[in-house]
Amino acid sequence: MGITRGLVITVLFGIVLFLLIPAYVPRPRFIPGFAPPPDMWPRTVSMFGMALGILLVGLSFSRKTESIADPEDASAIRGDTPLVALLTRFGWTVLAFALFIGSVMLLGFLLSSILLLMAMLILTGYWRHKVVAAIVAVALPLVLYLFFSSALNTRFPVGSLLKAIGI
Amino acid sequence: MLNDLLVAFQAVATLENFLIMAAGIWGGVIIGAIPGMTGTMAVTLALPFTFYMQPIPSILLLVALYKGSTYGGSVSAILIKTPGTASAACTTLDGYPLAQQGKAGKALNMALYSSCTGDFISNLSLIFIAAPLALLALRIGPPEYFMLMIFALTTVAGVSGRSLLLGLVSACLGLLLATVGEDMYGSFRFDLTMDMQSGLAVAPVLIGLFAIPELLKIIVFRNNQSHKPMQLGDNHVTRDELRRSLKAMLKGSMIGVVMGAIPGIGPSAAAFSSYGEAQRSSKNRENFGKGELEGIAASESANNGCCGSTMIPLLALGVPGDVITGVMLGAFMIHGMTPGPMLFENNLNEVYMLFIGMLFSSVLLFGAGKATMRFFSHISRIPPGLMAPIVLALCVFGIFSISNSMYDVIVLLAMGIFGFFMFLFAIPAAPFLIAFILGPMLEENLRRALALSRGDPSILVSSPITWLFASLAIFVVVVTIRQQLKKAKA
Repeated sequence: MGITRGLVITVLFGIVLFLLIPAYVPRPRFIPGFAPPPDMWPRTVSMFGMALGILLVGLSFSRKTESIADPEDASAIRGDTPLVALLTRFGWTVLAFALFIGSVMLLGFLLSSILLLMAMLILTGYWRHKVVAAIVAVALPLVLYLFFSSALNTRFPVGSLLKAIGI
Repeated sequence: MLNDLLVAFQAVATLENFLIMAAGIWGGVIIGAIPGMTGTMAVTLALPFTFYMQPIPSILLLVALYKGSTYGGSVSAILIKTPGTASAACTTLDGYPLAQQGKAGKALNMALYSSCTGDFISNLSLIFIAAPLALLALRIGPPEYFMLMIFALTTVAGVSGRSLLLGLVSACLGLLLATVGEDMYGSFRFDLTMDMQSGLAVAPVLIGLFAIPELLKIIVFRNNQSHKPMQLGDNHVTRDELRRSLKAMLKGSMIGVVMGAIPGIGPSAAAFSSYGEAQRSSKNRENFGKGELEGIAASESANNGCCGSTMIPLLALGVPGDVITGVMLGAFMIHGMTPGPMLFENNLNEVYMLFIGMLFSSVLLFGAGKATMRFFSHISRIPPGLMAPIVLALCVFGIFSISNSMYDVIVLLAMGIFGFFMFLFAIPAAPFLIAFILGPMLEENLRRALALSRGDPSILVSSPITWLFASLAIFVVVVTIRQQLKKAKA
């Protein structure tokens, strides 16, 4: 775990330092006074982050220092559940989030939130209490929608599909 | 000062403010009592609502939530052996054995008395220490501020995880994310989309990083716990029991005040230190861990003793000591107030109103705790599998309402996934958030200092104050590494 983590951190900061900063942090032609350029700080932080990542990898090779770089045993978090099951659950959750974001413009904020809440209740395993779960999935977004739109004047997206059918 | 405090008293003593504080305390106690829901989550969830409130009531609401949740954490710790917040973990040691003996009410009452005592003493310390410290802070410039923030970040990175290195990695990630958007000279950085030109708002990042990973943990690891709430049973704390615990309570309050005022230490460490000290100096030390009221008094007075004093570095220096004060810093900024020495110059009335409001909230905490004690055992029955999706719905609606934009909701969910990966890699979240909030100020002060010195970095170690903060930061690093090496050997 320690080596993987160190490598991931090094690569992450490396991507920022060598790819993102040159592409997305342009140096202006004129900088007032002796002010440092805008890329100075992100570069410094990325270099420090990369150095920390390399240090983590280095420390993970020695048994004496391994526990400093790798304080957490990943298997303790995971338990006995197979990795495939964990990845599947995670994948479904991310998919639910993505579908929610994608569906807001189509179905509107309220309906999308109800569907998102239903998906989450299924994924947490609470859907076996069908009645309570269904009431919560429908009533909570409805109450929040009414509260925010009437009390705080929030304008939630209605959804093009619902608009088209005249709702 | 007394005259100012009296004027502030009149301004704060309105029905509206009392209702807001009562709602905050009550909400905080309930959230704190639910395992997996922390004071940080309570405060971050309430942040979107404060956009629509006046500055002082909004800060009072956040403070009330913080105080309520710190006490509330002890409720589930005592009733179901599951600390609602990390700082209540120590209360479990004696609270749950008392509950098993049918004395849950006694334990809850002692937790309440101790929490209120610690809280009140902490508020007094805030009133008398923050202003003189702010006067001193007026003398410091950009290099000193930069070093102070480096010290605060190092401390937070060192104590909020099991590895200093991972804490520093977390802080670097936060600092990097804080650079997204427009910088102090008008250059755009990392503007991958048009929305990103305005940077990342504090609220979706904070809420995403704290609330959403909890949901993901429940879904991915299915760690739903079974809850068996206890009956409250024997409620009354006798005068003799109170007298016996008074020493632990007062000592715990002072430990809380001192540890709360140091950035990064926080209530959990204070509670454990106080518990250890109470056990060491008690005549009944053999009863600790078996249901000793002194243990509860020591732990609860210390964790609530941090509530007021943790505001000292925030108000006087503009440096948040933990995530909750980090969120409060965001709330101050939303309302056009910048914590730090200038706050005492520009917004002195508001500062005194805040002080008085905090004193009121100690009294309200007592009332709310007493009134809702029996109700708690029902609240703590809500299973995490139901609670986590409810929290998600609150987050999504709350965040959308801030800017009426799906961009913030996307940031919220993306940060949630990012926070989950941080959890998997054992990277602590607290340094990330503190760095994300302090990042712009840190960079601004560094660039100002370098501009003043015409690019000479030696300005960062040119005054005794910068040396002091640099030495403190190095001291923290050395001590943390030494402790971790000791642990590694053991």
